Amino acid sequence: MRRVAITGMGAINALGHDAATTWSAMREGRPAIGPIANIPSDLLNIKIAAEVRGFDPLAHFDSKRLILLDRVSQFALVAAREAIAQSGLEFRASGFGERTACIIGTGIGGENSHNEQSSRFYGDKNPRVHPLAIVRVMANAPACHVGMEFGLTGPSFAVVSACASANHAMAQAFDMLRSGKVDFAVAGGSEACVTVPTVKAWEAMRVTADDTCRPFCKQRRGMVLGEGAGIFVFEDYEHARSRGATILAEFSGAGMSADAGDIVLPSETGAARAIAAALADARLAADGVDYINAHGTGTPANDPTESKAIRRVFGSHADTVAVSSTKSMHGHALGAAGAIELVAAIGALRESIVPPTANFIDPDPDCDLDYVPNTARELPVRAALSNSFAFGGLNAVIALRRA
Amino acid sequence: MSSVQETIFGIISKEAGIDIGKITLDSTLKDLEIQSLDAVQIIFEIEDQFKITLPDRDPNFDTESVKGLVDAVERLVAEKAAAAPPAQT
Repeated sequence: MRRVAITGMGAINALGHDAATTWSAMREGRPAIGPIANIPSDLLNIKIAAEVRGFDPLAHFDSKRLILLDRVSQFALVAAREAIAQSGLEFRASGFGERTACIIGTGIGGENSHNEQSSRFYGDKNPRVHPLAIVRVMANAPACHVGMEFGLTGPSFAVVSACASANHAMAQAFDMLRSGKVDFAVAGGSEACVTVPTVKAWEAMRVTADDTCRPFCKQRRGMVLGEGAGIFVFEDYEHARSRGATILAEFSGAGMSADAGDIVLPSETGAARAIAAALADARLAADGVDYINAHGTGTPANDPTESKAIRRVFGSHADTVAVSSTKSMHGHALGAAGAIELVAAIGALRESIVPPTANFIDPDPDCDLDYVPNTARELPVRAALSNSFAFGGLNAVIALRRA
Repeated sequence: MSSVQETIFGIISKEAGIDIGKITLDSTLKDLEIQSLDAVQIIFEIEDQFKITLPDRDPNFDTESVKGLVDAVERLVAEKAAAAPPAQT
């Protein structure tokens, strides 16, 4: 089977508008969670989020183009431009576009447009709905716009699995590349769902924190909503090497499973099966993994369950592997989460620095791993895992090796 | 049985799908084997019915008795009534 290289990386999220800024904030353990500023917060009980701040769409798109783009597609395009520029690939000019998959996950899709049109219709009693509402709202729009901009004419679609969407999308792209169905892939996740109704819906589930996100820590009070996108370029390893591309990391395996249990409560065995499958797929032994970027939402239910799942698969090595949740800094970007977090895993592999779990106060006896509290750690990382476990019990874990 | 208590028993019974006869003031949500998703639906229905907002997170939610919930709702309903402007005569 072919090996898969990652040759481009792009990101936009609360920590920054590109992957380099995102990674430096992660490395410095600098959270970007703060008071909600992009939407009216007077009706909100939970008034914090990890929003993308200072983003001017007109700096990236002309107004004619912008009318087609929900915020979720804008984020995907900004991150894709960065990733593809870094890869050095010219998909149109080279004719590679036909051999390229474009698979982008999103949990919700064009939530801002949906909210805006509903608000006009029900709130303002305006019976006219915008003619581009459909194409802005559809969940496949981010993949379509990226494909159109760069001429990617191979398999292209969206993947939806709530908080695991990005990892499922990247796993799908990885499998297509490894099997030879395509030679390149542009893949990742995008989410832009910080709207008043969505925040109210999260409030009603009573899983969001009102202070900040403190994964694995005794004082944790829940997750904090985030937004953004992470997009990567995957390429046949030999091709990348022969053209002298910078290989950021090797995408070495992916593991997926479904709990088929509860719609919200996570399962230790379901998560453990996905972790074990990723290791097996990557032909990695547990003690070959030095860092796990955890799903680590900061909810009462996820953190102990995930810790137990890691222990179940890693055995005695569970005490020596570094585990951190960067959601403590960029919040939970749902369908983009796994993609933004892959920036952390790649950074750890490349720079031998493990980003911390920020906002950590006291350990929780039910979470007994090494969570790299508050301060990054210098540590040679040979291989890393990135976990995503979604509502509905859908689990996807990605395994990377140092290039 | 106060009307608040009666309404709350009714909501718990309906949302969690348990026989109303099994609910007592001393039962905890844990005793009644109420899952977290049912619990948030119970809270939502109570808030919607009484037009009140329960505190966002009660660390003793699972171990709190139904009586604790009834007392909290009665207190919030009374506070709301006290805050409302007096009726014009």
